[in-house]
This record gives sequence, C-alpha cells and structure tokens, in this order.
Amino acid sequence: MSFSFSEENNLKIASLMKRYPQKKALILPLLWMAQKQDGYISEDAMQVISEHSHMPYMHVYSVATFYTMFRLQKPTKRVIEVCRTLSCELRGSQEIKKHLLENYSDSYEIVEVECMGACSGAPMCTLDGKYLENLTPRLLDEVLNAN
Amino acid sequence: MQTKIVSKNFEIPHAETLAVALQNGRYASLEKLFTFTPQELIDIIKASGLRGKGGGGAPAGAKWQLVSDFEGKKYLVVNADESEPGTFKDRQILAKDPHLLIEGMICTCYAIGSNTSYVYVRGEYEEFSNILQVAIDEAYEKNLLGIDAKYPVEITIHRGAGAYICGEKSALLESLEGNRGHPRLKPKSPEPEFYFGEPTLVNNVETIASVPFIVENGAEAYTACGTDCSPGTLLFAISGHVEKPGVYEAQFGVGMWDYIQELGGGVKGGKKLKAVIPGGASTPILPAHLVYEARLDYESLKTIGSALGTGGMIVLDEDASMVKALKNLLRFYHHESCGQCTPCREGTSWVDKTLDKFIAKTATHEDLEILKSVSKSMNGKTICVFAPAASGVIEGFLKHFESEFLECIQ
Ligand SMILES: Cc1cc2nc3c(=O)[nH]c(=O)nc-3n(C[C@H](O)[C@H](O)[C@H](O)COP(=O)(O)O)c2cc1C
Ligand code: SF4
Ligand code: FES
Repeated sequence: MSFSFSEENNLKIASLMKRYPQKKALILPLLWMAQKQDGYISEDAMQVISEHSHMPYMHVYSVATFYTMFRLQKPTKRVIEVCRTLSCELRGSQEIKKHLLENYSDSYEIVEVECMGACSGAPMCTLDGKYLENLTPRLLDEVLNAN
Repeated sequence: MQTKIVSKNFEIPHAETLAVALQNGRYASLEKLFTFTPQELIDIIKASGLRGKGGGGAPAGAKWQLVSDFEGKKYLVVNADESEPGTFKDRQILAKDPHLLIEGMICTCYAIGSNTSYVYVRGEYEEFSNILQVAIDEAYEKNLLGIDAKYPVEITIHRGAGAYICGEKSALLESLEGNRGHPRLKPKSPEPEFYFGEPTLVNNVETIASVPFIVENGAEAYTACGTDCSPGTLLFAISGHVEKPGVYEAQFGVGMWDYIQELGGGVKGGKKLKAVIPGGASTPILPAHLVYEARLDYESLKTIGSALGTGGMIVLDEDASMVKALKNLLRFYHHESCGQCTPCREGTSWVDKTLDKFIAKTATHEDLEILKSVSKSMNGKTICVFAPAASGVIEGFLKHFESEFLECIQ
C-alpha cells in the first residue's frame, strides 16, 4: 500500500483514539490528517482510514465525498476560493471573480464557495485556506504577485 | 449603544493567551461555580432566561435539565459550525477570547454532569480553531482542563469540512460520529440529542460563552439587560451596504434602525435603505418601512413576519436588485441541501433554476406561479427546517418586493 501516516501523525492518532467513544468518529479527523499530509486524499489513504476506524472502505469514501473541503484529486495548482454569497456579492464579489478568472486562472485553481463567515470583510477570498478580506482587484494583484 | 458581556475582552491585545486572559477575569467564575450544586446552577441558568444564540433562541436552562436528568455518560457539544450567510460572530469568540468559551464549557459540563466535550468548528475556520487549540493546550497545562482539574473536563476540537447543514444539531452529531452530515428525524416529545446513543447537550459558542457572566454575577445581572422574553445581549453582526460592517454586542430590544445607524455607521455612501435581512440568510427580508420600527429581539421580529435568527443583519441599499438577491440566496440553498428529502432536494433546485429566468428577464407569469407553488411544497414534510426556511425566504421577497419580479416578466 502506498499510503501510510507519518510517525508524527501515528502518535496523534493514538492520542485521538482516546478522545472518542468509538473508532468510527476518527474518520473526519483522519481524512483531514491525510489531506494535510499529501495535499489530497488518495484511495490508499481511505483504505488506511477504513482500517483505523473499523468501517468499510465504502463508508469512508461516502463520507469523504459528502464534504466539499475534502479533495480526492491531487491539486495541480494553488487554490483560491472566492465567496459568492450575498454580503460579498453586494460588495463586489463578481468583480473580484472576474479579475481572478481573467488574470490568474492559469496559475491558480479558482473556486467559488458559499459564505465563509467573513461578511464584514466582503468581498473576500482565501489563498491556500488563508482569509483575504476587504478585497479590491489591486489588493489582489499585490498579494498574488508577492506570493 | 454597545453592552459588552461576551465581547468585554475583544479589544484587549493578546486576550487569547492564558496569561492575559487570567489578568482580565477569565476563569474567575470557577471560584463561584463550585459553591453551587449542579442543580443550583441549572436553576440559575433557567432564572437568567438565557436563550440559545445559534439561531433558534431555545431556553438554555430547560435543555440543560433534559440532559442533566439522565444518569451515566453524557456529552457537551459546542456548535461552532457558523455557516449561516451573514453570520460571523462565533469566530470572534474563538479568535479573540477562546478562554471565555473554555470557561463556559467547564461551567456547563459541571452543571449537566459531563466530563467529555467537543467543539465542532467549521472546516474553513482553521485559523480560528488553531487559536482555540492553543488556548485549550494552555488550559490543560494549568490543570484547568483534564483529569487533574478541580472538575475534570476533556475538550476535543472536531473540524467540519464544508457543509452548511452540519450546523443543524443532529447533522452535526452525525458528522461527529463519522458519518455524512444528514439531519435525523426529530423525536415527538422533548428529548436531548444523542451522541453514540448517550444524551448530549448541543449549544452554540456564544450561548456557552455567556454562561461565565451569569455564574459570576447571578441571574439578575443578566435579566437586567434586554427584554423580558429575550434577556441579555447578543453579538449582533452587520454586513452588506453599511459603512462599518462588523460585530457589535448589544442588548436585546434595541431598535434595528438605530443599530444600523449608530453601530453599522449607516447605509454605505449615504444611500437610502431598501431592506434588511435581519438574522442570517434564512430569515425573511424586511422592507425599509418595517426596519424603522423593528426591535432586535425574538418576539418583536416575529410579530412583523420575520425572525431574529443569528442576529446577523444583511443591509441592502436602494440600488440593490431584489431579484438578484433572491437568486443569490436560492443558489446557496440549492448548493447546500443535504439531499435526503425530495421536496428539499428537488424544490431548491427548481426555484434556483426558475430564478435564472427572472434574471434574464424571460420569465412568464407561469414561472412566478411555479416559484410560489414549489416554495409552498418545500414548507411541508421535511426532516429538518432547512427547506421550510428557504420557503420562508422566498415568501418574504415575494410579499414585499413582488413588483420587481413582475418587471422581469416578458
Ligand atoms: C439548517 C440549520 C443550520 C444551522 N446552523 C447552525 C450553526 O451554524 N451554528 C449554530 O450554533 N446553530 C445552528 N443551527 C441551530 C442548531 O440546530 C441548534 O439549534 C443550536 O446549535 C443549538 O444551540 P443554541 O440553543 O445554543 O442556539 C442550525 C439549524 C439549522 C436548521
Ligand atoms: S430539509 Fe433539506 S437539508 Fe433538511 S434533511 Fe431534508 S434534504 Fe436535508
Ligand atoms: S457572504 Fe462572503 S463571507 Fe459571508
């Protein structure tokens, strides 16, 4: 099998086991752990998680596909998520999205997402999961060219 | 206009660290806590009138009692899923005063007789859950948590992974058990929730963060704020077309328009107000003339046909298109339906697509009827209130702004 958790993660799993009454509850934390480790969740990783959680592979797979933040494909580009929900739209998210698609879609994967709980900083996006708020096209250029 | 109970330490630099938190009164309630029996504490919470701040406003004390009445293993689960559009208050507690939440969790666990608790944080809040984790680690180190604490409590953070529906308490528990986040059928009589079959209390972050103040100062100090039916304060949030979007704590019962002007800085660019969605995207929209008379508490918003929800106001100015705004929200509902119930799965998809015709100005009178009848069918028998809430949103827009929809008809 080509996937195994790192030494460090195996230690974490051992201590996490004590935190939950049943091993099944480890599925989400371990999916996160696998994704952190590899950048995505491979079939082999789900197999390992299925063993840790004492649940069938298909259950782990069905859980992994339910949640939008789990990635089952290896990302080829860095990810920018743009919020498209109402507070952001009212403050110009469409302009931000357009700017991103026109200028950055070659080097970044641009994904539209629903409200990220940052409506006071609308319009907003995330870069590698980090929040960037009160965006303008110019500010985006500054951040993306500095990264 | 602000009354700071929960947000008292938000402006203090490094209040997220234990040292600064302790200097600023955190964990002080624990001294009082152990002078009460657990039942006395539940009675204090009941007397304080504390209501759940996750959107429903259910009395906290009664919920605690339900769980407390069970013998044996029990759990406390704090709901930090915070995914309701327009809502961004719980994140302030996680990031700015995590020790307040931990303190509240210790008090609550003691009251209901639980030693094991979880904080379910939406996956996107990684930054903020990391801050909370550091605070939890510090609290373990100082024996405020763990088996060597005066009252032993374990706190484990459980990260969600992008699913609005996991904020619904039974879906949240499914997710915490390692399943898809599908809401469960509701029991007929009042029951607590169950985690792996054991009785479980689910409360919102802000509800739990309000507990230390009540323990320390007594129920009367809490009922001295707010209204008779909605005592205390709420971390109201304001976004959209305002000058100063943000989170400002205020007493229940303050005027919505006063709040928008004084704390939100008024409508952006000096424009006129058109409407406000008062408490997160799931609450029916209010046109300006109702906003002027609205008060921010559960009862008064109900009497004018809306709801307080999470207290996250979204302000729309005179130039906002109501058709576009509704389209935006229906796309959200379509995207977030968990898919278990046919009226919800099919209905949210259908209304979302129908709205496209209004946006393109190619709608017919029949489309308007479809919108109305599908919306009605969503307000029927579904497992959770997600679909009925979507239906209420549509109804609100059509009730107050139907003319804008008629203008899109060929
Ligand atoms: C679709 C839906 C989404 C919800 N999302 C949240 C949420 O993100 N956070 C929250 O605290 N409560 C949310 N709730 C309410 C919870 O089901 C539950 O009532 C609440 O967490 C109980 O805590 P409280 O009584 O302290 O408010 C949601 C309810 C529904 C129906
Ligand atoms: S109403 Fe919608 S979100 Fe709620 S359980 Fe049914 S399908 Fe899922
Ligand atoms: S609407 Fe974009 S963060 Fe809330």
